Formats: sequence, C-alpha cells, structure tokens
Amino acid sequence: MGALTLGRLALLAGLAGVLLAPWHGMEDAAALAAWPRAEAAPLAALLADGERWWMWPAVGLLALAALPLVRGRMAGGLVAACGAAILAIVFLQGQAIGLRGLAWPALAPLLGTPAPQPALGWGGALVLAAAAGLIASGLAQRGRFGGDAFIAFLVVGSAGLLLLFVFVPLLTILSAAAIEDGRLAPGALAARLAAHEAWSLACVTTHQGCGVVWNTLLLACLAAAASTLIGLAFALLSARGGVRAQPAFRAMTILPLITPPFVVSLALIVLFGRTGLVTTAMWDWFGIPRSRWIYGLPGVLLAQVLAQAPIAFVLLEGAVRAIGPSLEEAAATMGARHFVVFRTVTWPLLRPALAACLLLGFVESLSDFGNPLVLGGDFDVLSTRIFFAIAGARHEPGRAAALALLLLALTFGAFALQALWLGRRRYTTVTGKGDSGVPAPLPRGLRISCGAVAWPWMGFTATVYGIILVGGFVHDIGRGDMAFTWRHILTGFEVEWRDGIAFRGSAWDSLFTTLEVAAISAPLTAGLGILLAWLLARQSFPGRGALEFMAMLSFAIPGTVVGVSYIMAFNEPPVELTGTALILVVCFVFRNLPVGVRGGIAALAQIDKSLDEASATMGGGAVQTLRRVVLPLLRPAIVAALAFSFVHAMTAVSAVIFLVSARHNLATVYIVGRVEAGEMALAIAYCTVLILVMLAVVLGIERIVGRAQLGRRPAPLRAGA
Amino acid sequence: MTDAAIRFERVTKAFGVVRAVDDLTFDLPRGALVTLLGPSGCGKTTTLRLVAGLELPTEGRIEIEGGDVTRLAAAERRIAMVFQSYALFPHMTVLENVSYGLVVGGARRQSAEGEAQAMLKTLGLEGLGARLPAELSGGQQQRVAVARALVLRPKVLLFDEPLSNLDARLRRRVREDIRDLQKRLGLSVVYVTHDQQEALAVSDLLVVMRDGRIAQKGTPTELYDDPADAFVADFMGEANVLEGEVLASDGGMGRIAVGGAVLEAPMRAHPAGRASLAVRPEAIRLVSAEQGAGLPGRVQRAAFLGQTREYEVATEAGMLFVVTPAAAPAWEEGAEVLCRMERVIPLRT
Amino acid sequence: MASRRPFALAFLAGLLGVLLPGGARAQGSLTVYCSVQEEWCRPMVAGFERATGIRVAMTRKSSGETLTQVRAEASNPRGDVWWGGTGDPHMQAGQENLTEEYRSPRLAELHPWAVRQAEQANFRTVGIYAGALGYSYNATELNRRRIAAPRCWSDLAKPEFRGEVQVADPNTSGTAYTMLATLVQLMGEEPAFTYLRALHRNVNQYTRSGAAPARAAATGETLVGITFLHDAVTQKIAGAPVEIVAPCEGTGYEIGSMSIIRGARNMENARRFYDWALSPEAQAIAAQANSFQLPSNRASPIPPQAPRFEDVRLIDYDFARWGSVAERTRLLQRWEREVRAGAR
Repeated sequence: MGALTLGRLALLAGLAGVLLAPWHGMEDAAALAAWPRAEAAPLAALLADGERWWMWPAVGLLALAALPLVRGRMAGGLVAACGAAILAIVFLQGQAIGLRGLAWPALAPLLGTPAPQPALGWGGALVLAAAAGLIASGLAQRGRFGGDAFIAFLVVGSAGLLLLFVFVPLLTILSAAAIEDGRLAPGALAARLAAHEAWSLACVTTHQGCGVVWNTLLLACLAAAASTLIGLAFALLSARGGVRAQPAFRAMTILPLITPPFVVSLALIVLFGRTGLVTTAMWDWFGIPRSRWIYGLPGVLLAQVLAQAPIAFVLLEGAVRAIGPSLEEAAATMGARHFVVFRTVTWPLLRPALAACLLLGFVESLSDFGNPLVLGGDFDVLSTRIFFAIAGARHEPGRAAALALLLLALTFGAFALQALWLGRRRYTTVTGKGDSGVPAPLPRGLRISCGAVAWPWMGFTATVYGIILVGGFVHDIGRGDMAFTWRHILTGFEVEWRDGIAFRGSAWDSLFTTLEVAAISAPLTAGLGILLAWLLARQSFPGRGALEFMAMLSFAIPGTVVGVSYIMAFNEPPVELTGTALILVVCFVFRNLPVGVRGGIAALAQIDKSLDEASATMGGGAVQTLRRVVLPLLRPAIVAALAFSFVHAMTAVSAVIFLVSARHNLATVYIVGRVEAGEMALAIAYCTVLILVMLAVVLGIERIVGRAQLGRRPAPLRAGA
Repeated sequence: MTDAAIRFERVTKAFGVVRAVDDLTFDLPRGALVTLLGPSGCGKTTTLRLVAGLELPTEGRIEIEGGDVTRLAAAERRIAMVFQSYALFPHMTVLENVSYGLVVGGARRQSAEGEAQAMLKTLGLEGLGARLPAELSGGQQQRVAVARALVLRPKVLLFDEPLSNLDARLRRRVREDIRDLQKRLGLSVVYVTHDQQEALAVSDLLVVMRDGRIAQKGTPTELYDDPADAFVADFMGEANVLEGEVLASDGGMGRIAVGGAVLEAPMRAHPAGRASLAVRPEAIRLVSAEQGAGLPGRVQRAAFLGQTREYEVATEAGMLFVVTPAAAPAWEEGAEVLCRMERVIPLRT
Repeated sequence: MASRRPFALAFLAGLLGVLLPGGARAQGSLTVYCSVQEEWCRPMVAGFERATGIRVAMTRKSSGETLTQVRAEASNPRGDVWWGGTGDPHMQAGQENLTEEYRSPRLAELHPWAVRQAEQANFRTVGIYAGALGYSYNATELNRRRIAAPRCWSDLAKPEFRGEVQVADPNTSGTAYTMLATLVQLMGEEPAFTYLRALHRNVNQYTRSGAAPARAAATGETLVGITFLHDAVTQKIAGAPVEIVAPCEGTGYEIGSMSIIRGARNMENARRFYDWALSPEAQAIAAQANSFQLPSNRASPIPPQAPRFEDVRLIDYDFARWGSVAERTRLLQRWEREVRAGAR
C-alpha cells in the first residue's frame, strides 16, 4: 500500500472521529439518540460549544497534516510528527482531566479549572487510529519499513495496542512492588524479592516445604519435560508410525485441550483421592494403604501434563510433518540406517519445535492457576501465592507484585535458554523447490517405545474423561453415589417452552457470554498473532526486538496479575473498559497473543523466505503476499491459533475472575463458584457441556480452515491432470 | 534521460559494519544480458537484491529505465526475478504460479490464465499447468520459474544463480534457452552467477565484483583477453601469472624478459619496466627444445582429455599450465620443451 | 490498489473494534456484589426485583475477591451494594473508607450481635446472618478406624487424628482466621498457640477455601474438617455421612455482613435493597437456598436444620479488635512463624 493512500485513509478516519462519532464513551446505546448533542456529541460539536478547548491543537495538527496529503505531495516527517503529537495530546489531556476535573494540579495555570470529562469513545478511538495511520504513512514515505505503508501501519498499530494493553497495565501493578505505605521504597522491593517464602531451601534438610520459587521451578520443569515427551511420542506415532486409528487419535488428543483446567483436577481426586475409585480398589484388592499423595506436586503435575501433552502433540506433529522427506532420504542414501537418520537429521530438525514445546509447557505450568488451586494441597506455587496475596485475607499488593516479578524472571529465563539452545542455525525445510520424497517410517525400537508411552497415556486420559462424562449425570460421584440423574444438567441448563423459548437454567447467561466473548476474541487473537509473527519473522525494522518482547510479555504474566492490573489501568478515563464485555475480549486477545505469535514464527521458520520475495518481485505487495502466499502456507498455524485462543478464552479463570461483571459473567467463574460451594456434580456437568461446545467449535474450525496442502505424495489431490 | 536499464549512483548497502555493496556506480544498457560475476561474498547477490527492491540501499540512488526507485518497494518496481531455489509456491498449481503476478497486478483470472498458458507453451511446458511444483522435475521447475517471471513483461528480469541446481547437460541447454528468449524478446536481464563459463556463454556485458566493488566491467572478450588485474585474470578462466620485465612494446608486439629468457609475443602497449604478465594456458605453444627462441622447461605432467591435452611445465619463471589442441603434437612426461607465448597480457596492478 | 483496500479497511475496523470502549455498560438500576453461594444470590436478587420492580445486576465473588475489586474500583465504583460474605473484609472496607455509613430503620429489629457489629463498624456494615464455627467428621471413616467420636477442640489434637484434620489457611480464608482468633480469645494467646502447634501435627492440609474441609470430610478425603457449621449442614443435607460438632469448650462465629459501596451510582436503590435485605421475608430465602446460617432479624424464621446458637457455647467475639488490620497481621505472622513453619 502506498504511503499516500494510507495517509488519506487516516485523514478520513480522523475526520470521522472529529465530526461524526461521539467523542466520549456512552453509558448505553440509547444515548445515541441525542446525537449530536449531550452524551453523544462529537468533538466538533463540543468545540463549537466552547468545551474541550484544549483539543484545538490536535484538530489544528490534523489540518496541518491534511494539506500535503490532499495535494498529494507528502512531507513524511511532518505527517509523522503531526500524528505523534495528536496521539500525545489525546492521551495526556485524558489523563490530566478526568472524572473529577483536573487531575494534575501542576497544569492549573495552563488549563484553569476545566469541567470533568468522561472516558474516550468512538470518536476518540477513531482519532487515535488516525494518528497511528499518519505516523505510519509518514514513516513509510521516508523509506522506513521497506517503504511499505501497510507494514508500517501494522507495526505502529500493534506497537500502540501492545503498549496500551500489555505494557501500561503491567507497569501499573509492578510499580506497586516498590511502593510501601504510598511511598517509593527500594528497600522494601529488595526485601520482598529476597523473601524467605520464595527462596527457602528448608525442604532439603527438613520436612518443611521449600520456597515457592523452587516449587514453581521444579513443577514447571517436570511438566514441560513430561508433556513434551508424551507429545513427541504421540506426534511420531501419528505422523510416521503408520497408525490406522487417526480420527480416534486426534479426538483423544484434542479432548484435553478443550477442558476447563480444574475439571481434570476434580476427576483426578475422584480417581486417586483418598476415597477415590482407584485408591479404594487398590486397598480392597491389594491392601495398598490409602494416602493423600494426589494433593501436592504429583497431582498438579499429572493435571498439567494431561492438559499440556496434547498441545505439545499438535505443535510437534506439525513440525514432524513439515520436515522435508528429501532431507531424510538424502541421509539414507548417504548410507545412514533408520535410527541414524532419525538421530542425525530428523531430531535436529525437530529442535525448534521441541524448544517451543518445552518453553510452552514451562510457561503454561508457571501461569497455571486452576490445578494448583484444587490439587496443590500444601504445595504452593507462585501463581496461587500471588492470587492469595491479592485476594486472600491479607491484602498485600506489594508482596504480590514482587512475586509476580519473580515469576516474570523465571519466564524470561526460559526464553533466554531457548534462544541459546537453538542458536543461529537455519531450519528451513519448506523451500520453493517442491519436495517429493516419501516420509521415512519410524525406526522399530523407537516406534515401540513411543507406543509404550502413548497408548497407556491414552487409556489414562480416557479414564479421566470417562469420569468427567459420568460425573455430571450421577448423584454424587465424589462419594460414589452413582445413581443416574438429570438434576445437575437441569439446574444449569433448563429450557422452558412457554410462548417462545426461555432459558431458565442458572448457567445459560454465563455460557452465552462466554461463547460470545470467545468467538469475538479468537479470530482477533489469531489474526493479530499471525500478522505479528509475520512482521517479526519476515520484516526487519527498527524496534523489532522490542515489539517481540512486548508481544511475548503477556504470556509470562500470571493471570491474576493481569486481571488486577486491568482493573487498575482501565477503570478510569481516558480508557475506561471495566464492566464491559470489551475488557474480557481485550484481555483474552492480549493474553493469548503470544501463542499465535510463537506458532506463526515457528511455522514461518519452516517456509523459505524467497517465497515472500518472489511474490514481491512479481508485484505482490505486502497485503497480496500475505493473503495469497503466506497465509495459505500458514494454515496449520492459523488453525492452531484460532482453536487455542477460542479454547483458552473459554477456559481461562485467573485473569477474568476480577474482570467479570454483573452483566458479563463467564462460565469458568461460575464453575469456580460451584466448586467453592462443594457442588462438584453441577461443576462437572457444566464442564461436560463446555467440553462438547468447544469440541464442536474446534472441529468446525479445522473443517472450515482446513489443513495445509504441501504437495507431498501421500496427498496427490490435484495431481493426475 | 539516460538510455540505461539500470543505473546505480554511489550506492552503498551496509549490514551493520559490513559493507556488502560499497559505493557502487554503474550503468547497465537496455536490451542486454548483463552478468554479475564474482566469488561468494563479493556483493553480487546484494546488488541484484538492491535492483529488485528486496534490500533498500543505505546510501545512494538507483534508477530503473530512468525512474528513481531508490525508496520504492519491490512490488512497485515492475521487475521480475528468478530465484536460485525457484521459490515456486508449493500450494499453487503450475498455472496458478505462472499467473500469480498477473492476478495480483489486477488482471482478471481468465485472461491471466490465458497468458500464463501461452507462456507455458513458449517454454515447452504445455500440459503441466494443473500439476503442483513438487510433481515436476528440476528442469521443469526451473522453466516454470522463468515462465512466471517472463509473463509479467518486466522492465528488467533478474536471475539469481538460476542454474546452480541443475545437472551439467541441462545447465547448458537452459542457459542457451534463456539467452535465446532474452534476444528474441529484447529483454534487459541481470544475471548473477559465480560460474565464469556460464557468464562468458550468455552475457553481452560482464561485471566482475570483488568486496562490494566493481573489479572490471566489459564484454566477455574484453574481460577474457584483457583482464585488468590478477584477480580478474584468474577469475575469468585459468591464467599463468609471471613476474617479468617489459623491454619494449610497439604495434601489438612486445619484447619481454621472463625466467632468464627473452621472448617476443603479441601484446598491447605497456611502458617498459617490471610487470606482472598473464598468459592463458591455451596461448602457450610447446615446441621442441631445438627450435630456438622460447622459455625452456620440462614437462612434469601430461593428461589427455579428448578434445585437448593439458600439461604442467616447470620453467625458470615457475610452473606453467598449458592446454593444447589434441591435434597438436603430444609430449611425454619428462620431455624438454620450449614455451612460446602467442599472447601476453600485461596486468595493471 | 483497489483489491488491497478492503483488506486494509477490514483490519482498521478490527483494530477499532478492539480499541473502542463500547456503549455496553451495566444497565441495572442496582448492582449487587454477592459473596455467598450462587444459589442463594439468585433468589435474593429475584426476590428484590419482585418486591420493588428495580432491575438488579448481580456478580458473585468470594469476599476477598470482592474486597480487592471494590478497592481497585474505588475511584470509579461499579457496584452499589456488597451483600454477604464474612464480616472481616466488610469491616476492613469500612476502615479503608470504601463503604458508606447507613443506619437502616430496621436496625432495631436485629439481634444484639448484629447491632453490636454495626456499632463497631460505625454503621458502615451490618450483620445479615451469623454462623458458628465448629467441625464435622466422616462417621463412616471414623467407625472404620474405631476412633471415639470427638466432641471438643482438645480432641482434635489427640494422636489418633494424626494426618486426619483439615482446616483452611488463615492467610487465605476468613473462616480459618476466625478459628485462630476464636482460640486465642477462648484459651488466651499462649495456650492457644501451644494447642495450634499440637493440632498442626494432625493437619493433613491447609486448604485455601474456608468451606473446602467440609466437603473433604463429606467425601472422606479427610476425617475431620474444621469449618463453619452451616457449611457442614449443607453437606449433611446432601446426604453425606457426616456428624456435626459444636466444640464443648465453646466457639466463635462469623457475622455475614452487608455494606453500601461509597460513591454508589444508585444510592437510593442501594438503601432500599439494604432495608429489604434486613427484613424477615428476605432472610427467609436463605433456607430455601440450602443455607443454614442464623438470620439477623429477630423475626426471621430459623431453619430447623440450622445449628442454633442456643445449642452452641458462643464466646463473646470482639470483632473490632480481632478484625483490625494490625491485630490480624500480628496473629497471622505469629501463626506463620510458630505453627505453619513447624515440622509435621
């Protein structure tokens, strides 16, 4: 896209933002009737009435930028500077003049005593988008971003969004780590970071528990390693093992993906708790004493691996399938035996995916909250400790923030390690040259050991899900009362036919909201994530590292911290989102973004860059290249990102528990309430419904978006002609 | 404006501290096939990518057919490029690949596919339109890549080592095909290779690059027969470089002293004094030791290659590599011979 | 160019969609934060809507979470009334000036314990129900092990209950803090900590949620669970083989409370809800919702299953002192240091 075109589009958006759209947020849509006066007044009407006079400079800047744009002779520097200044003015005035009038007394000589103003609305948002467009078009005109205005806009826009929705909230809450009694106290920060509760090594020498950092690290390492190993076994079997039962295989491995996290914990208690089904059976038959081993590290680990192994499977299967068979054939023709081929070629090529898997498992484990909550027992990890530091009986935001810092440090340590392990090697296997080999089968020994891992795990998973499936339809599975009942489903999902349909069950509201929010946020997450991945992997521009860092940042932040930070940051003008469904959408988009980005980058690493370049030299601009070349080749990554973000939006708890409101309650929060109240059966029943819904959606996404066709022999769909 | 297809004005491209292209200035004529030649890392591929717009220069100005494209994105330059890896889109059929550029340029699908079919036919690929690239042989893939570029009727067509993935026989045929097409359609082509034979065979103009700068520019004959320095001489085919003294030169003939002998040989004018002298292996004739003037030597190794014979001859001036036609008299290893120079190239540095 | 534009526009639209503060806000003319179980919150809201015609939006969260939310929203409150949940967070919110002082005309109809709590909080909160602390044990498991049924606090420290007692962590649960404060008031601080250290050896897990031990005892995951008695009653009514014990030495209690959030947007309706929630009709809803606390209005019917205060030896619980931030922090730190850190 040309810089001029973008500049003019931005100008249009800016005009609409000033002249048409209501400048401030409205309490509800009914206020729109008053347009262009009262609550729905656009900025132009406000200015005409002599209000918001401090916005005149912004309007003037817009006009200044308009001159060269309309004449078609752009001065890039001027346009970009105008955009940046408008951005600054809109945000600063919003901060300075809030709901209670002037918030920054230092500005009193300049602004006097302005009337209070509410948050920005559609008009404000349009003007902000216009400002971003102006900056981008100006920079592109000056030859930045390869001269492509579309890329410039993507970079500027996503950087702005990431700053607003990742960086600012984080800064808000983390600054709390260094504040004691309302004052800045570096000493307190140091003391909190070095706290005994975090670093104690007491468990080595005594019976006491270790510091929560050690617990977290141990759990995360074990969970990452175990889930990657199991995922790898499944992936190898599925892609190379010649397994016939593909559909069952896929269904079985998708199932844990679409499960609200704590329901697995509940099922594990039902199975392995002290009065659990398995435990009782063991006692009755073998006299193995009943114990409470499931509460603590083993239980949490088991639950996390159940949840994480399928994700590892999906990631690794894609990677295994993407390895060009000719590479392996090449090795084989050089005289290498099956196992040697596997060890010297296949395995090293899998390394990026393995690293991504380990990292994902590690980070997921770090931020997991539901399982440690239900199964942790006395085994505390950082995420729960942070939650209770904020929401517990002792309210200590400073301590929570310090613990959150430690959690962040762990995550970034993992990222650094991954980068170190992968080094600078190239791992491109999908090149422009068609690869026509046939995938090598697995070496026999490896196939047997993969089977030995995968099949029992499959059985175990089936059992857990059997429990979940049954649990919703019997009186009380926790006590072994297995009489069939519809009671729990009816409580949640009763539907009445009386002049039209009436959803009387108590769970309907939350289910509808959850579906709506997940359905809106999933495509946004996948779209933004893949675009960002493409920017980061394929374009070089100043600040790329910083952008990647910000895009990955939200993954490292525990949900609880995100939730509280969102409330703190977006409860007041200029950006006021609390109480809306939008804050849930925003939260999900930016929380799940890193997965889309990671997946996209990993997939792009397998696609030769010359494909993009070929498209560019043939006249395909960034947009065309994306649409016709990159996105079709990225289909598996897109499917994964869509499915993942949808599922995560439906199963997230910790972040949203603070963000749900009276009108917008979510399924998981409702279920947590049921669990707290001891109504396991209703909770499990609701989970069953959720699982079915998510299963349908995930399969639907896969059906619609489809799997990538890379023209290998096993898929000769369009050959023959 | 100028008649140049491509003009570089003091163009520099730096990657960090490394200057891949260093203050480069040249004009490339229209309708010609220009080859950028040089060892790997010499900046030839970067130069090509600067033309394509896949890299933007750090400094300087680039024109294509008189228009300034320095800050223009690749998509807007109306060039086309054939990649070393061919870069065929694996998810599209051959026909879709070839019509891609037309479609993204705004052509209607039907007319685009019509043109693409015609181009496939031109390149002898008819009937393969519905296949996926993975189902083609290497040579076919290469021709699809060329078709995909040609169908756009670009101002300039760029080739980045297009033959390096083909076997020797195919390589020769394809390079002739490319040359034919270029001549027939009057295309401006820039061609990057590290293979001097390939370069000599197809080029109107050769640009030899070294460390991001132009080492020498000229027609194949100029570069072969009159290399500016030892680097070019050696890169443009084999050359024996001798240290000697020019005694006199006049009217296309010169008298030189090398290895204790004084020889007369065809040579362009050069001031008298010490000089480096390059002699092509095929420009040395071996005669028997009794035949008077010449640089005496002993045949160390002899090899028969069918069309030619190759010798290594030890002389006072150093080891000489000699190639003679198979029809010329053969020499045994150990034979005493005299070397006569049929052409001597005094090097400028 | 033409074909690129729709895509760019779509992206712009998507971007705007994300950026925009939508017009959707809570429209209810009253917003209630509810901190008891969902199935009690819902009929309460429905009852109020029926009685007054005011539309209510309700969010259910635990009292700790609600306090966090109210605190975070202090400068721009979203909620109007905070109904239910143990009294300490309500007291704390009052101390932090997050809630509004209000003297309901129904104050005179309440039990003395409710009035006293309101006075201690300068009328920023009021008691709506009370529940006594105690424990429940799984009778099946107890018989299987042939252990004598426990009756007192002291029984729980006996060696036969080693690894069989479950109680919440006072750091995270108001219930467990109530136990801590109760024991200190009952026994005196030093003997209380001696007892807690002995009990610590018998505790298999400090849960995070206060009601969780009742559930664990009901399923047999633990033998004894220390909770509020009404939580145990809920399990028993659901058919669990549990027996409920009000300890012989006497015990403390919680006062479930209600506050009006300072700066409430619908102050008038908030006061109407407040008054209504203190009426006998409103308090009768509890029993229908399987909640068996003692209602605070003297005229409210007491559910037959509820553990009556007459049958329980209640101590004179000093909410002002043990609910204060300073005292709470001191007790919790001492507990952490002397009890929790000990070997089991």
